[in-house]
Amino acid sequence: MTRALMACRCLIILVFLGLMTGCWDRKEMDDLALVMASGLDITDDGQLEITLQIALPTGIPSAVQAGGSGKKSVIVISAKGSNASEATGRLQQQLSRVIYFGHRGVIVIGEECARHGLNQVLDTYTRLPESRYNGYVVTAYGSTAKEILNEPYQLELIPGIGINKIQSSKVSFAVKMDEFLNALSSQGRSPVTAAIRIIHQGTDRETFSIDRAAVYQGNKLSGFLAPAELKLLRWWMGGTQQMRFTLQLEPEDEQYKGTIGVELMQSGKKIHTSVRNEIPEVWVNFHAAVRVIDNDTSLDFSRSNNMRLLETELSKQIQTEIQSMLAHVQKKLKSDIFGIGEEIHIEHPYVWKKIRNKWTDIYPVVPVTADVNIKIKRMGKTQAPAHLRKTD
Amino acid sequence: MKMKLTGIQVFWMITSMDLGMTLVMTLTPSLLAAKQDAWISIVAAGCIALLVTWLVTQAAHLYPGQTLIEYSQTILGTWLGKAVVVIYLVQWYTIIPIVLRQFSDLVQIMLLQGTPIEAVMLLMVLLIVYAAYGGIEGIGRCSEFLGPIILLMICLVLIASLNNIHWKNILPVYADSEIKGILSGALAPASYLGHSVEYLMFASFMNKPRKGAPYAFGAAMTATFFVLITTMMIIFVIGVNLSPSMWYPFFEMTKKISLFGFIDNFDAIPVVIWIASVFIKLSVYLFIACYGTAQFLRVRNWRVMLWFIAPVIFVFALIPQNVTEATGHYLNRYWVPFVLPVNMIGLPLLLLIVGKWRQQNRSTPV
Repeated sequence: MTRALMACRCLIILVFLGLMTGCWDRKEMDDLALVMASGLDITDDGQLEITLQIALPTGIPSAVQAGGSGKKSVIVISAKGSNASEATGRLQQQLSRVIYFGHRGVIVIGEECARHGLNQVLDTYTRLPESRYNGYVVTAYGSTAKEILNEPYQLELIPGIGINKIQSSKVSFAVKMDEFLNALSSQGRSPVTAAIRIIHQGTDRETFSIDRAAVYQGNKLSGFLAPAELKLLRWWMGGTQQMRFTLQLEPEDEQYKGTIGVELMQSGKKIHTSVRNEIPEVWVNFHAAVRVIDNDTSLDFSRSNNMRLLETELSKQIQTEIQSMLAHVQKKLKSDIFGIGEEIHIEHPYVWKKIRNKWTDIYPVVPVTADVNIKIKRMGKTQAPAHLRKTD
Repeated sequence: MKMKLTGIQVFWMITSMDLGMTLVMTLTPSLLAAKQDAWISIVAAGCIALLVTWLVTQAAHLYPGQTLIEYSQTILGTWLGKAVVVIYLVQWYTIIPIVLRQFSDLVQIMLLQGTPIEAVMLLMVLLIVYAAYGGIEGIGRCSEFLGPIILLMICLVLIASLNNIHWKNILPVYADSEIKGILSGALAPASYLGHSVEYLMFASFMNKPRKGAPYAFGAAMTATFFVLITTMMIIFVIGVNLSPSMWYPFFEMTKKISLFGFIDNFDAIPVVIWIASVFIKLSVYLFIACYGTAQFLRVRNWRVMLWFIAPVIFVFALIPQNVTEATGHYLNRYWVPFVLPVNMIGLPLLLLIVGKWRQQNRSTPV
């Protein structure tokens, strides 16, 4: 009796062990094609083209040899299809390994594809269980995603990781997959992503740079922001690391250029909204403490009236820049990337209920007033420029 | 051979049964109905859960030492008592396959896409049969060990999510959803937080049967508190634009965690929470179903029932066609409209009132 019981127990334990190994889903590293970045394009005949940048494990040298050129460390492949699953299926047919999206850090959307609209495509990406929200979304500026993913990048072995690192450094403007989707599904906010473009085209130094922003209206791309505007957008979104402004304080003469350079230290933004007759009105207050990092004027900033002058002039200049960026985004691109709708939703929820379905029509005419308040906190090591003009 | 449970074991048993399931399964209906006010729904759900706990502890303490099967017949008479027991048996017999199915669905959707669902289920069935075979005492000790781990894991997820918070997501409070939306959002979590209803069966196994109430209350409150914090966290982190369309928002929240650039992919942690919680829940229910059926049918050795019930639940669990049926339909068509008002509130109330009345009649001298 006891022996039978023992045998029974052993059998059960064996069955458990057999089941727990998860054999059906074992994924060996050398059976996977690790996708580092993927791109979406639309072809002339309306088909979707998917490009994958796949890490080539044998091409990655060990740490000691790193930096040495020679073997390629990625392969880039593309395929067309009527939708994402069909295109991915065709890509799979070219590969001896299973496509694995778990490590994808970047999704590049080609400009044409973005202008065409991208609801359905994104659904495929979120439905896949292995795809993560930590990947960044970037839009190609003036090119297709395929071209971007084929660009070489010197500093990293895998260009996709290069894009990812540029994005995750706080200096750049970055939007993750989930932030993008969140904006896409919100009524009071439009999506915005960083825009990537090819620089030094046609030379042997050809590579990419991320210095613009792509503004969407709904799920369609409506335009791009210039580098200077991107800076202000970053301020609005709350990341001002290493943000610098240059101000022409005095007219240029033969001795001085007349410019002042400042860097933002602490910064912030406050939004206040009010509603009159169902037409909202918005005030935005930008404030920052800055430090002076270069001074090419004849002014001595140890004097308080000079400092006051710099503060007001700087505030005035940034205010003009912000107003023109707002006008560009609001009147021309008609896209609520700032989440003004969400602000009204929060501050005036009952009014929002009435206007939210007309929000895309109302938004371009909403008056937005920006107000900038700059305080100089630090001067650097020197009181005055070493080459200060001797007046007497 | 009498099995004994301590108060602490009952506490951890109810806490872990409540926590994992509520977090993973019921937040989507709540977010769908109440949007960013889902946390108010959880508060309401917690109140309902406390009411259920009060009713069942009061009812169970009328005849300490008897199980539900026995005292429902003592209180309501043989036939009515049997009818009540049948209602509870239906609940137990249907919840086991459904939870088993929900468990295997999640494992399949999120983790093991290539594994046949039968294999995942078989593993769990063998495990819970083993646990239930050992009796409620073994399950109690098991939950005493797993419960703290579940809590710890939840805390870990919450703390690691702190830097993903967007405070404004929770605003505006109350303005968007009316009281109706908030209350309807409370039903699903309430029906899962109300698992203290199983105290009706536990009470008779306790070593100090009358001292159990504070532990049951403590468990309901602990579970509600953690579900509340987690719901707020989900709203803060994911927002209410996306979360209502996700099957498992708690899972997605952990996927977003990324610490110091190199600690990524926390999805293993909810799996621990979930599997531990489901394991305890299933083995408790399996035990209750076996023990209850045996008493009901007057079978001397309740362990015999295991060999009949285990295959039945395995087959039943295969019936739902996909995740929509397993997760949505059972919850919305049976558990919320029937079990919550009848099994969790109505019947304990009936037992309590009739039982009190009987005891008073008996104690007053004729």
